[in-house]
Amino acid sequence: MPRRNPRGRAGAPTLFLLLLLLLVAAVPSEAADTVTVDVGAAYASNEGTSIDPALGTIRGKLRSMFNYTSYRMLDRKRRSLSVGETGEFELPDRRSMRATLLPSRGDKVRLSIQITEGPRNLLTTTLGLRRGGMVLVGGPPHQAGVLILIISAE
Amino acid sequence: MTMDCRTAQGKILAKADVLLPRQEEAELADHLAGCPACAADDAVTCATGPVLRSLTGIRAMEKAPALDAMWTRVRAGIEESRESRRRFSWLARWAWIPAAVALAASALLFYPSGTDQTPYRPSSFDVAVENVESDVATVALVDKGEDLPTVIWIIEDAKT
Repeated sequence: MPRRNPRGRAGAPTLFLLLLLLLVAAVPSEAADTVTVDVGAAYASNEGTSIDPALGTIRGKLRSMFNYTSYRMLDRKRRSLSVGETGEFELPDRRSMRATLLPSRGDKVRLSIQITEGPRNLLTTTLGLRRGGMVLVGGPPHQAGVLILIISAE
Repeated sequence: MTMDCRTAQGKILAKADVLLPRQEEAELADHLAGCPACAADDAVTCATGPVLRSLTGIRAMEKAPALDAMWTRVRAGIEESRESRRRFSWLARWAWIPAAVALAASALLFYPSGTDQTPYRPSSFDVAVENVESDVATVALVDKGEDLPTVIWIIEDAKT
């Protein structure tokens, strides 16, 4: 009568447990005092009529707000910031954005934003938004259209 | 020594059962040759064995189909039990794979990375712009209500 390999029988549950541990370790455990700042750079133009699916539920809103026919995601980055911490985001065309998390209350997030192009200061602003909220910064020229920065905080 | 009829009766039964030694069988034959009554008993006893064997054979042949059917059922039952045990063992051996694949997919899906490409699903467009400044451009603030995102528009050299 064939006998099962006991090592094989023990291996499957062990692997299952390892994967479970991996999942537990992988799920982000954000502390209450940190905020994940998400900055996406989209290229808006009148070249074509495609709208990048990565833009998700804001595709319709972009169409209704602007006169461009095409929207394409160029880049998207996330940084987890603590209060007082500054995150730097590289943008197309040698531009960059610095976001500093400011103290706030409740589910509000306050961000100090500075967008520069080389030595030039394009924008300095302070935003107050809810966790999961979003704001757009647009206008810097890019190729035949403009850049639209999608800034959100979670 | 001459065998009496009572002794001969016992030996006739032993002979019918093929238990009588050769020497005694010869003695019995001498007695049967001179005793017609014992010889008749011996003939009847010898004829009974084959008749009984024939009857037993006939009954066995009658019951053979029923026995065959019963054995077929028993064999089928044993085979079915083996098969179900094999199936269960196969399931027990491989059932963890789909669960492991689901876990791995979840881990990949939720693993935090620097370039998250999940489509945007903002929960709010409620934004307070506390201040806006620019050294080199004109900045416009566009707020079209809670259903649409607030837009800070940078106008450089009246290009856009």
